[in-house]
Amino acid sequence: MGVSKEQVESALRSKLSPSHIEVIDTSGGCGASFQVEIVSEEFEGKRLLERHRMVNGALVEEMKDIHALSITKALTPDQWKIKQQESATSQPPSTTTVA
Amino acid sequence: MSCSMGFHSRLTSSSRIPSFEFVSGSTAVSPPAVRCPGRRSHTSSSLKVGIKIKTCSRRIDSTRCFAALNPELKTTLDKVVTSHKVILFMKGTKDFPQCGFSNTVVQILRSANVPFETINILDNEMLRQGLKEYSQWPTFPQLYIDGEFFGGCDITVEAYKSGELQELLEKASLS
Repeated sequence: MGVSKEQVESALRSKLSPSHIEVIDTSGGCGASFQVEIVSEEFEGKRLLERHRMVNGALVEEMKDIHALSITKALTPDQWKIKQQESATSQPPSTTTVA
Repeated sequence: MSCSMGFHSRLTSSSRIPSFEFVSGSTAVSPPAVRCPGRRSHTSSSLKVGIKIKTCSRRIDSTRCFAALNPELKTTLDKVVTSHKVILFMKGTKDFPQCGFSNTVVQILRSANVPFETINILDNEMLRQGLKEYSQWPTFPQLYIDGEFFGGCDITVEAYKSGELQELLEKASLS
């Protein structure tokens, strides 16, 4: 019944040519629940709703067997770069001196 | 986040009335009378807009009711979404959400402090399938603001975090 993480990933890769993609199977094994993080140039100039529609559209077949799909990130490469820089700088400075 | 419970979960949800019995000694104790609180609170807080939809004459096992969105249902939905500033199609009710994602959106709307209506799509299979086509969105919950499809759980959470949702809701409640 279920769908594999690889299936979800390859469907998204072939349809949205992402520069970054991370698919997490959150179903605990049955393959019915996934979390997706995706970065693609095709999202450029599109609102979040449209981006999510694109992801849903790419997974039409898979969605028949998926019960829950969570799209945690749908970003353009530029937004992704900014996000990464933010998270890099927001991390506490590494402690070079250890008491 | 959003979920589109499929076939097996449908079975469990349709057979929600527990069939078990506790047997202690020789006396069989049947479960207490209060069952499906979700359904009950739905009727009590039920909407003024009656959604009258002919249910699939076929059995529920036609999981994918193709063309569930007939013209009649489309007209009804047009009316429903435009006659409410904020309306959420969800699994369960405001007071008894039956899905974590639906619950998340309910909590967000509550904290936004705006009046909103909810419709339990688990109560009507035809409505549930029809809405997927109507919104062109495969899962529930589905949030409509000012007659327009806003998004599912992920989008609502995101917009809530950015403040965009609050802004939009305020605008909607003033208009």
